[in-house]
This record gives sequence, structure tokens and C-alpha cells, in this order.
Amino acid sequence: MNTSMNKTDCPELTVPVPVFFTIGVFSLMENLLVVVAVIYNRNLHSPMYGFMCSLAGFNTIASLAKTCENVLLVFADAGQLEKIGSSETKLDDVIDSLLCMSFLGSIFSFLAIAVDRYVSVFHALRYHNIMTMRRTGTSLGIIWTICGVSAMFIVSFFDFKFIMIFFVCLFLICFVVICFLYVYMFMLARNHARKIVSVNSGGAITLTILFGAFVLCWAPFFLHIIIMAVCPTDPYCECYRSLFQLHVLLLMSHALIDPAIYAFRSAELRHTFRKMLPCS
Amino acid sequence: DMSSHNRSQSSARRGDYVWQYEYYDDEPVSFEGLKAHRYSIVIGFWVGLAVFVIFMFFVLTMLTKTGLTHDPKAYKPYIENRNGLVNIICQKDDDSDDNNAVSRAFLAESRSYFNFYISKEGEGKRWQKPGTKQNGSQGTFNQSGGPGPAVTEQEDEDMRDRLPFDGLLADETRTDTDCDFLSHFNIPNFVTCEHNSSLGEDDPLCGPPITPDRNIPSN
Repeated sequence: MNTSMNKTDCPELTVPVPVFFTIGVFSLMENLLVVVAVIYNRNLHSPMYGFMCSLAGFNTIASLAKTCENVLLVFADAGQLEKIGSSETKLDDVIDSLLCMSFLGSIFSFLAIAVDRYVSVFHALRYHNIMTMRRTGTSLGIIWTICGVSAMFIVSFFDFKFIMIFFVCLFLICFVVICFLYVYMFMLARNHARKIVSVNSGGAITLTILFGAFVLCWAPFFLHIIIMAVCPTDPYCECYRSLFQLHVLLLMSHALIDPAIYAFRSAELRHTFRKMLPCS
Repeated sequence: DMSSHNRSQSSARRGDYVWQYEYYDDEPVSFEGLKAHRYSIVIGFWVGLAVFVIFMFFVLTMLTKTGLTHDPKAYKPYIENRNGLVNIICQKDDDSDDNNAVSRAFLAESRSYFNFYISKEGEGKRWQKPGTKQNGSQGTFNQSGGPGPAVTEQEDEDMRDRLPFDGLLADETRTDTDCDFLSHFNIPNFVTCEHNSSLGEDDPLCGPPITPDRNIPSN
């Protein structure tokens, strides 16, 4: 065994930059399309589509920030940029903040979508009194503000373990709440459709896709954060952390498939796309 | 000095965020004497994740097959007023079963009904009751810029779009005689009343019934 390799036996897994670029660009285009479509079509000015638009907006920011980071990396590797210069560090801070904000925002948007669907099912008659456009706008404003501020805090004070623990707990709480809301809705929905088996199996698949994608794409990254806080020097943890680029890639992929799961399933939205795009 | 202290701190914490920056500046991790495989956390994590997702799928699928206790309280108000409280109520042939409170209101070809579209223009005039507002070409409906209020295939699909499980019906086979249990999720955007509904006094959703031919849109 080569003892000089005791620095690390888990070489860092590198994802080729073109892969990041492709995913970033496609995700950016998709989510931007969703945002524009929702704003453009007045039929889509409803709470449900407002939250979807917010989700797409956060994903757009994430893709944009990631793509910029890739561009910077390419330049840095080509020697055009100084890796430890102060302006690059500041730029890196900004990009990290944007990424953090968009990740937080995605989680909150999922939560908002789940709450909206829950209200539309269980308080259907009062839905329009509960989910007014004003409240939707207010909650979206609050979400964006909280995410922006939290992101700045997290990136500035990342050294404090408390911040990381807070981040992780937030993720877990949101995930549990979303889980509960959807499963409860699903259970009640199938109560009323006991005879329609075909519909229910479709519901199981849809929910599995929804949650499966969320968990598969987000959990690795969050475990990464936990591990960074908990065991920075452990070799097993080091091997997990060497897959950092893969975890970020998974996060990016979630921004890519989010529109497919949430937005593109709406015929109204697809109809709007066809109207907007010149090739139709 | 300050900047180098900050730099080393930031490299420690951001070594993982920007991977090309001094990733291995941290103290070297010793890999000697490992009992288990070095990637054991990775493997264990992914296996656990896959098991969780598959387990969740099976739980959801089993929920569809087995029965669950039905909570009548949740839908009591809908069951009481069978004759037209929004589209929760199902007009089934076997009307005796109160538990199957599901609407089948979208069977345009077999029954006549009318929709109240939620006005998108403002919260104040959220509900447009037919007969209270005559908007020229839009007839008794007020919907800004959207598809006409005719009961068409396109509209039927649009109604599906307002569902929480958006893609749920996209791949379902639906028969005309089945009640669409998800149609009651349409409440936020549509209210469907039977044309022969009797009005409850505290029912703000159903206006006076109008004859079907007044429904025909002219836009």
C-alpha cells in the first residue's frame, strides 16, 4: 500500500463541467419558461400557480448561480482568475448566498404548495376566503425575504455549528410537514374513491415521484452538511464528502425535474407555452 | 493577519463549497486501520434511501388496496345538502350510499349544468352569479381572457389541472359512469351546481339555476 497516500484514499469525484453546464442551462430555460408563462397568462394568477411560479423562480436563481459558478471555475482553471483574490472570494460568497437562498426557497415553496393543496381539499368551500391573492402575495414576500436573509446569515456565519444544525432541522421539519400533508390528503382522497382502483394506483405513483425526487435529490446534500458539522476528520465521513460534486449535481437535477413534476402537468400551463413559443 | 486568518477559516468552511479551492488544506485524514470499507457510509446511505423510497411506494400502494376508516365528519356538510353544494355531491344512481360523496358533474354530454367561474380580476367580485351581471359577449360569466365557459373537452381537461395531484388523472382511464373523486379538488377554481339545485340559505356558491341554453358562450 502506498503510505504516502494517507492524505486521502477517497479521491474527490469530479463531475465534468459540461454536465453541470448542460443541466444548469436546461434547468434555467425550463424554470424561466414557467415563470414567464405564469406571469403572462392571467388565468394562471391563482395561489397554486403563484407558488409554482415562486418555486420556478428559486430554481431559476439556483441554475443561474450554479452556471455562473461553473463559468468562473472554467476561467479560474484557465488561469484567468486568481483563486484566492478578494473579489473572487466575495463573488463566491454571493454565489453561495444565492444558492443557499434558492435551496431554502425551494423547500418553502414546496411547503407552500402542499399547504395550498391541503386547504383546497379540506377547506374547499372557504378556499377563496382563506387563500386570497393578497395572502398569497404576502406569504411569497415573506418567503423570499426570509430566504434572502437566512442565506446571508448562513453563508456569513457558516462556521458556527448552530447555523448548520438550524439549516438541517429546517429541512427535516419542512419535509415531515409536507409528507404529512400529502399523505393525509391522499388518504382522504382515496377514501372517497374506494371503487376506483385505477385512479388510486396513479395517485401512489404520483406521490412517490414527488417525494422520491425530493428525498433522492436533497437528502445526500443535507447529509453532507451534517457530516461536515459532525465528523470533519473521520475517514468514512471524508469518503462521503468526496462525493460533494455529485450531491450538488443531484440538487441541480432536482431543479431540472421540478417543472416536470409540478408545472408541466397542468394543461393550462402547457397551453400557455404553446402560445408563447414562436415555433408552434 | 486578519485577511489570512479569514482566508484560512473560509477555506476550511468553503473547501467543500468551491471544490477547487484548497480542498485538501485541512489536516490530513488518516486512512489506515479502517475496519469497514471506506465508502461504507456512502453505500449505507444510498441503500437506506432506496429502501425508504420503495417502502413509501408500497405503503402508498397498500393504502389504495386496503380500506381505511372513513371519517364522516369531514364531509358531513357536503353530505347533508345533497342537492347542489358545490361539486362534492355525487348524483349516483344508487343514491343511498352517503359515503360516496363524489361529484360526477363533468359529464357534459349526459347532463346539463353550469359552472360558476371564479373571477380572476379581483377578490371583491370573486363569485359571479349568473343573472347578476351581463357582460355582453361573455354572457353571464366573467372570466378574464380564459377559455370560454362552454363545457367542452378542453375545459374538462383544464378542470383537471386544478387538482392537487395534477398528473393523477393524466394517465387514468376514466369512464363516464365513474365518479371523479378528484373533481372535488376543483373547488378553488370552479363551482359546479346541479341545474336543479335547491338553494341553501347559507350557500353562497349556487346561484339561481339558469336554463342551459343561456350558458352558451359567445366568445
